[in-house]
Amino acid sequence: MAKLNVDTSLIETLAELLQRTGLTEIEISEGDARIRVAREQHVLQAPQASRPAAAPAATAAPDTAAREAVESHPGAVRAPMVGTVYLTPEPGAAPFVSLGDELREGQTLLIIEAMKVMNPIRAPRSGRLVQLLVNSGDPVEYGELLMIIE
Amino acid sequence: MIGKILIANRGEVALRVVRACRELGIEPVAVHSTADAEAMHVRLADASVCIGPPPAADSYLNKLAIMAAAEISGADAIHPGYGFLSENADFAQMVIEHGYAFIGPKPEHIRLMGDKIAAKEAMRSLGVPVVPGTDGPLLHEVMAREAAERIGYPVLIKAVAGGGGRGMTIARNETELIDGMTLARREAKAGFGDDRVYLEKYLERPRHIEVQILADEHGNCIHLGERDCTVQRRHQKLIEEAPSPVLDQEQRAAIGKRCADAIRRLGYRGVGTVEMLYEDGAFYFIEMNTRLQVEHPVTEAVTGIDLVKEQISVADGQRLAIRQGDVRFSGHAIECRVNAEDPKSLLPTPGTVQTYHPPGGPGVRVDSALYAGAVVPPFYDSLIAKLVVHDHSREACLARARRALAEYVIAGLSTNLPLLQAVLEQKAFATGAYHTGWLAGFLAEWQARD
Repeated sequence: MAKLNVDTSLIETLAELLQRTGLTEIEISEGDARIRVAREQHVLQAPQASRPAAAPAATAAPDTAAREAVESHPGAVRAPMVGTVYLTPEPGAAPFVSLGDELREGQTLLIIEAMKVMNPIRAPRSGRLVQLLVNSGDPVEYGELLMIIE
Repeated sequence: MIGKILIANRGEVALRVVRACRELGIEPVAVHSTADAEAMHVRLADASVCIGPPPAADSYLNKLAIMAAAEISGADAIHPGYGFLSENADFAQMVIEHGYAFIGPKPEHIRLMGDKIAAKEAMRSLGVPVVPGTDGPLLHEVMAREAAERIGYPVLIKAVAGGGGRGMTIARNETELIDGMTLARREAKAGFGDDRVYLEKYLERPRHIEVQILADEHGNCIHLGERDCTVQRRHQKLIEEAPSPVLDQEQRAAIGKRCADAIRRLGYRGVGTVEMLYEDGAFYFIEMNTRLQVEHPVTEAVTGIDLVKEQISVADGQRLAIRQGDVRFSGHAIECRVNAEDPKSLLPTPGTVQTYHPPGGPGVRVDSALYAGAVVPPFYDSLIAKLVVHDHSREACLARARRALAEYVIAGLSTNLPLLQAVLEQKAFATGAYHTGWLAGFLAEWQARD
């Protein structure tokens, strides 16, 4: 299990990224270690605990039910590859999609960068974006939950 | 300095690398497919990245996914283990071009040894004997007759385009040669769309003996003796031991030096294994494996040298701290490969382990990612554990191996433990008088029992 080395330069980088992208918070995790940088308490529908953790056993019990509900949601959009998520076409630009948007099937939802290649991830179905479970700059694993479209 | 290693593998070898990392103070990062989310190598690593769905082609063989995993996890080196991408020169090249250290040889050497014909040429020119044969395809009968006379009967007629034992015919005299050539040509044409054939000396009862090499990039190259891997079936090794029961100290030093000298001249770096056939006192090169070998713990047991730590160190550009004169061989070691397969039919038996009790006590080492509740998925290799025992003599080692096998409990799925026990009870194994065809013969007889 990871030990938490407080990497101040990483936090500074994340803080800068937060400012530049206009995001409210960024959280990265590695094993059990997590760093979360937030600008303000914001009403974000997605509880962060609902993200599937890398270590399955590490999640606290009360979150389990909520997580399972999200995990098994029929409108779940999962990462088709390993990489880094970007919610905007370029730094500083408006995000591809926002919470509450009515989405069309095939519309670009976000980008996953893998090996310097930007892979647009498209909506598998039409519907309303009800949960956004990742932030720009998040590393994602294969199969990780990205968002939920209802 | 390497500080964080991404392990592009699974199962016991991933665990083996995690262990070396821990002891070196390096952070191990695991990758896994969705089928291996609960696997032991994932649990014991500092961090893990899911890289794809169960099929190996989409996960453990997915170069891009592995590179992306290295990127997001901040690793500075990649260890390929064995199998999967470990002997993929393009992958090694990709790893290096993206600024990571590849814990293995230089891509050019992986490429050279991956081409079995070029590898033989190279080793022959470096002074390692190869199986005598014709340099090119046989053009006509006269040429075949002359070549067979020169090589000496029996000879093997092989398809140029063949492989995996297909398209081969044995000829013990001239009549068989002429008849065999016609037949082999027709088979080759039908099987591979190419009717060219060539000749090679046929070894009747060879042993499989391999030499472990360790080299740094500063021109230091040593050998760590041999492993005898003769107990095999369809090129799948079952039991390996060191030292070989048929070599004496002088022969060991001579073949070891010959291999180490050749590999040094090649400018090779890392661990590597020169695989040879041995018959009537002569060695014949077959191939070189440019990676960590499954059976490396046998060598670790008799030399006390940690091959994975050494491999990481030389990949990091360090100089070998061990000289040839420092290498001491102590006692005897035997490895038994425990597979999730039916002991009689040898068909894979994936499933869930219900109860797990590995053997212990003096001189016993078990490399395995199993635990009670572990799932053995149907997608990958059936090797689930390696039992390695060490003792002062071969006889004592054999007794220890039998004792340890009897202690091993793996319930919930079928394993080849009964077969391993039966093999170790055989007189031929006890005396060391076996050859590469021996196991197939024993199996046929053993399968027919009951």
